[in-house]
Amino acid sequence: MPLLELLGLSVCVDNKRIIEDTSLSLNSGEVHVVMGPNGSGKSTLLSAIMGLRNARVCGGSILFNGVDITNMPSYERAKLGIALAHQNPPEIKGVRLRDVANAMAKKYGCSDCTLLAKTLLVESFMNRSLFVGFSGGERKRTELFLVMLQDPKLAMLDEPDSGVDVESIEVIARVIESLRSRGTGVILVTHTGTITEKLSRIDKVHILIDGRIAYTGSPDVVLPVVFKFGFRKGLEVLSRGV
Amino acid sequence: MSTRERALSAINKPAPYGPDIDLSKYRIDEPGVEEAGELDSTVLNAASRVGLESTGLAYVQSNERALYTAIAKALEKYSVLVLPTREALTRKPHARSLAWRLLDPASDKYTAHAYLYGGELGYFIYVPPGVKVPIPIYTCLAITTNNTIQFTHNIVYVDEGAEAHLVTGCAIPHGVKDGVHIGISEFYVSRSARLTFTMLHAWAEGLHVRPRTVVSVEEGGEYVSYYVTYSPVASIQTYPVAYLGRNTRAYLASIIASSGRGVYDIGSKAVLEGPGSSAESVSRVVARDESLVYTRAELEALESDTRGHIECLGLLISPSASISSIPVITSRKQGAVLSHEAAIGLIAERELDYLMSRGFTEEEAKAVLVRGFMNVDAPLPTSIRKQVDYILDLVAKHAVG
Repeated sequence: MPLLELLGLSVCVDNKRIIEDTSLSLNSGEVHVVMGPNGSGKSTLLSAIMGLRNARVCGGSILFNGVDITNMPSYERAKLGIALAHQNPPEIKGVRLRDVANAMAKKYGCSDCTLLAKTLLVESFMNRSLFVGFSGGERKRTELFLVMLQDPKLAMLDEPDSGVDVESIEVIARVIESLRSRGTGVILVTHTGTITEKLSRIDKVHILIDGRIAYTGSPDVVLPVVFKFGFRKGLEVLSRGV
Repeated sequence: MSTRERALSAINKPAPYGPDIDLSKYRIDEPGVEEAGELDSTVLNAASRVGLESTGLAYVQSNERALYTAIAKALEKYSVLVLPTREALTRKPHARSLAWRLLDPASDKYTAHAYLYGGELGYFIYVPPGVKVPIPIYTCLAITTNNTIQFTHNIVYVDEGAEAHLVTGCAIPHGVKDGVHIGISEFYVSRSARLTFTMLHAWAEGLHVRPRTVVSVEEGGEYVSYYVTYSPVASIQTYPVAYLGRNTRAYLASIIASSGRGVYDIGSKAVLEGPGSSAESVSRVVARDESLVYTRAELEALESDTRGHIECLGLLISPSASISSIPVITSRKQGAVLSHEAAIGLIAERELDYLMSRGFTEEEAKAVLVRGFMNVDAPLPTSIRKQVDYILDLVAKHAVG
């Protein structure tokens, strides 16, 4: 049974259809990359799978381990093992990273939190207000840290490589590898594709254009074409089977 | 006119703010002072509501009974004197010279009643020059019976270069329904001295609370006030004033979690009298049910080279609650820099959604956000910070119901 199945999923934001009739299937331990131009609906797709309230499912369904979670609130999906590293998490003044991390560790249980904090280089800002004044790299590493605390079965990472330095990308890539090695399914949204060069294994690459998955293929085929021609022209090239 | 005559003339004088209370409806018990034996369970119950442990209390007042405690004696090893005010006024000329010096008994009917009928209960604390008291001084004022007025007159004198951290919990045990608490506080912070005053309130729906506080801070001194109230109350009205001398600093924080149909009229004023003085007034209000909250904050600069800032933030949790933020900044001299910011809003949906995606239920996420909202960077010592954190955890849970 697949870990995640999207069956003809459509997603609306403010009554506008952003994702249209999209299907996807991902197994445990697989890494899928979703790429596409700005505004193609990548973040909306992840938001809908997570159950964020601004991304309303307006068609189709979402199955997780065979259970229909289409109408489930986000916190219940989180408890089932779905986690999202947000692209732009909100700055929450007064709420310290330590407070949230401790509460989550209590919720999910965590044997290696300190090590995790050390690995992701977040120790030094544990006492700061969540995301307030964080640099790009700090923000991404913190999101990944919180995702790891959830010990997820499915980790969705929304552009973890955008706006970060080389050192952070290395750290983020190591964490993705670690997730995969312990059987977590990973959906990795990337705009630039930078992170893909650091990963030892990617199972599938999906190209999302105008709210639809326009192409799915292996990374060895898709990535070189996208890097060379861009999304729309690359799609033409891929569709011609070149 | 004598002070007594002036107080008598003010016996029916309403306060400028807050609902007027008919004090004749309440009983005034005979005041008394005694050695504390075992504290009874109702007092312990009240103390626990504000996170105080009975073994660490230096002064306890239950209704109109002032109780000495062993800790008060233990503080003598630091040369710190803790006495019921009534005792101090009898035995210590210094205490007599300080009483009713900062506060006019004729200010309003509450101060007048305290002066005339209060029996001078409350605590007198003296910290000698240069003594930095290493442990917080805990006091507890409890009302354990219905329909009474509790009076307390607290005088604190921190002498030159000394430092003290005072924590006062004012509370009633579960089960007490109505009454009035009138608290008179006169705090003296001498040259280069430092006083932090943490006040934690847990009352009940039928309680009217009227604290009256004035603080004098001499050159180079520092005063930190940290006030938390989290229970329902019939009404509370307070407007402490701090007079700040040359190169002094004051930090005044109020954390208010209102509920029920209570009226919470809570403010503070700092008068920047000396050059180089500065004040920061910070409030956080979380209002629910049908509560009505007024946060008043005033800075008045009488000298140049003074600074002050007011920050009033409010969160409305219920549609029938109301928050009014009333900051006032007055400069009477060029070169004073005063500012204020105020904002009232709802819990941000985006923040709520974010935390829910991390596995927090909506109620849990609200509590986390409210708890964070109430965090202010008050310069309190670590031991008190821990206690305040414990209370704020309770407050956050209470605030979201």
